[in-house]
Amino acid sequence: MKLRADRAQFAEAIAWATRTVGTRVTLPALSGVLLEAVDGELICRATDLEVSATVTVPVQIDRPGKVLLPGRLLAQLVARFPDQPVEIDASSDRVEITCGRASFRVRAMSAEDFPTLATPADDAPTGTLKADAFARLVAQVARAASSDEGRPVLTGVHLDASEGTLTAAATDSYRLAVRSLAWEDAIDGSALVPARSLQEAAKAASEVGGTVQVVIEDGQVSFRFEGRVLTTKLIEGSFPNFRALLPDAHETSVVVNRAELVEALQRVSIVAMGQANTPVTLTFEDGQVDLQATNQETGDAAEALRAEVDGPGLSIAFNPTFLLAGLEATGTPSIRIELRDGLKPAVLRPQADEDEVTDDLTYLLMPMRVS
Amino acid sequence: MQRHPEPILHVDMDAFYASVEQRDDPALRGKPVVVGGAGGRGVVAAASYEARRFGVHSAMPMVRARRLCPDLVVVGNRFERYREVSRQVMAILADVTPLVEPLSLDEAFLDVNGAVRLFGDPPTIGTQVRARVREELDLPCSVGVGPTKSIAKLLSARAKPDGLLHWRAEDVRDNLRPLPVKALWGAGPKTVERLESFGYRTVGQLADADLPTLRRVIGQAMGTQLHALARGEDPRRVQPAEAARSISAERTFDEDLDDPEVMRIHVLKLAEKVGRRVRAASTAGRTVTLKVRFASFETVTRSATLPEPTDRTHDLVTVAGALLDGLRLERVRVRLLGVGVSNLGDGDAARQLTLGAELDTPGARDDDGLAALAPRLGDARWERVERVADDLAARFGDVGVSYAALLDDPDDPDEIAPTADDRRAGDTAD
Repeated sequence: MKLRADRAQFAEAIAWATRTVGTRVTLPALSGVLLEAVDGELICRATDLEVSATVTVPVQIDRPGKVLLPGRLLAQLVARFPDQPVEIDASSDRVEITCGRASFRVRAMSAEDFPTLATPADDAPTGTLKADAFARLVAQVARAASSDEGRPVLTGVHLDASEGTLTAAATDSYRLAVRSLAWEDAIDGSALVPARSLQEAAKAASEVGGTVQVVIEDGQVSFRFEGRVLTTKLIEGSFPNFRALLPDAHETSVVVNRAELVEALQRVSIVAMGQANTPVTLTFEDGQVDLQATNQETGDAAEALRAEVDGPGLSIAFNPTFLLAGLEATGTPSIRIELRDGLKPAVLRPQADEDEVTDDLTYLLMPMRVS
Repeated sequence: MQRHPEPILHVDMDAFYASVEQRDDPALRGKPVVVGGAGGRGVVAAASYEARRFGVHSAMPMVRARRLCPDLVVVGNRFERYREVSRQVMAILADVTPLVEPLSLDEAFLDVNGAVRLFGDPPTIGTQVRARVREELDLPCSVGVGPTKSIAKLLSARAKPDGLLHWRAEDVRDNLRPLPVKALWGAGPKTVERLESFGYRTVGQLADADLPTLRRVIGQAMGTQLHALARGEDPRRVQPAEAARSISAERTFDEDLDDPEVMRIHVLKLAEKVGRRVRAASTAGRTVTLKVRFASFETVTRSATLPEPTDRTHDLVTVAGALLDGLRLERVRVRLLGVGVSNLGDGDAARQLTLGAELDTPGARDDDGLAALAPRLGDARWERVERVADDLAARFGDVGVSYAALLDDPDDPDEIAPTADDRRAGDTAD
């Protein structure tokens, strides 16, 4: 195999493929990236048997062929290459990689050991979404998933496709993010997708743009972009029926400027930092919200903001990190907070100004109990 | 402001448990009373001065105590009661100075330097403390007053029963010299034995000893420390009580256990007791420890640290049970079991609540897969059950709600096991 590639395209392809697959390697061959040059394209493949990534970049091929190279090493090298074409010559098992005046000889791995990648079936039903809308949906929802590997079901994002809509939901048991989005081309089905894989798919969506094709199959889901495919195994087990958690009524509804609340929260929670689980207490009264945090070691902080408060006043305490994540997810200049009492979940929603259309997002957050 | 030369008080209740029993039951006054387990392996936890005249002392096997004093009155432990009285004692001490360092339920150090202007010199304060404890609690105590903790401690022991001793700072070295080495607070029995075998019998001999030689005999740290103590030097300061660092309960069995199921039940009991105390202290701990002592006296401890602090009995049971399983005890004889919680934090201060916890219908939870949201350990529903059980225990004394596994337990009604009343309450509750 011998080829010549654009450095930026090549580096982005290798970076995405290696990062998507991660570093948990169970077989030596899985630490490699398989490069295959055929028909004017370089196909890069990586997998850890859970997630498979395929990236195609246009290259100038002198001699077709394939070679398996150590993924991390390759990724580190190309990330630091000067901005000149990259040449790869795999005439011997010492593969020569040249970029400008830099050249490296890297020992190839045995390509026969590399597994066949999981790919979507050609005739499987395919849904289509706008790539930017998909990336936004993932950014809003996936952060609410748990990182506790001991609770695998909660480390996933639940995708539910029905009636022309895709609904994504994630929870770590303290908060729940639910977002719906209309399909361009609709499919039906559901999947519990590892949050990390979905975030890599979103990364590809931002980088590539255009549209994303979603293929939900038994035990796996695939995301196809221009020149990239990501297929991931699904998490086994059933996701909690999150709809049963969504409150059907509230007592108090608050509309507040999001940026102001975020800034005040960041200031007040400086006091809370350094000591895990220090809550920030929000007190909603006529026309304002008071933020307050106390840390026995550091001291306390308080700040007041204007807010439209509709309903009885109340106090409620939150983990500031969770609240900030929720505020970030909503995205609109104003947000709405719906409350029942200080121990019941709060609902955050984007607040539409005039006849502006907002995302169909619900961020449910459990308070902290302060005695 | 200049420090008073002898600002340290050591207040030690006399025969505390026994005195409380004699006070609460006038029929016991003037009689040789011991507190402790009456069973085959019971030991004396405290002996009244009447009993001590027969040679009975604490930590003595009950069998031996009865032999020494045939008329001995044995009273079961009422630790909750002693703890309550202890709090009253500590409250009196806290009126004198915030610098109170409790050593146990029945003794504490005070640094009264700041209180001298208000209440008089340290011996006067000591006299006042003794008078208040006598008048308000009807209990005897002894007080030592001296320049250091070590001296104050030594003096309260020598003031017993019901007395006060005070050494002036300039007299300390001379007064110490004739005392036996074991009088020093910090010289344990092993150290004393070793010192005596090298001919160091009195504090004076220790004070005169060549330090390098002494260090070779009893080790670097101990040598340095005892040499200083023998010269009346003690840099240890009175450290006001911190919040408890761990809460634990353990039990020695009259007969060794060999049935893993029975061990499990005892672990459950201990966890229940510890959980109740953790909740009563408004704290929560992250580290759960299981202690097992075998018939051979070999002791193993195993611990596990949770992702977040807990005060739930259910969590303690789950973790302690898993630790017990992890030991794979088969065909072993177990003499003692203990469960403890450490890594304590401010449990009730702020706790992140869990989604779905307020949904009350258990069936719906399970059908909806919402159980997946419950904290990895335990379940919020247990928390409610336990709080109710705590309330019952607080309101009706020891009558309470317990685990079903404990209710039909034919075991002896000791201080850990539920009493006959527990069982009755449990049966009707079923």
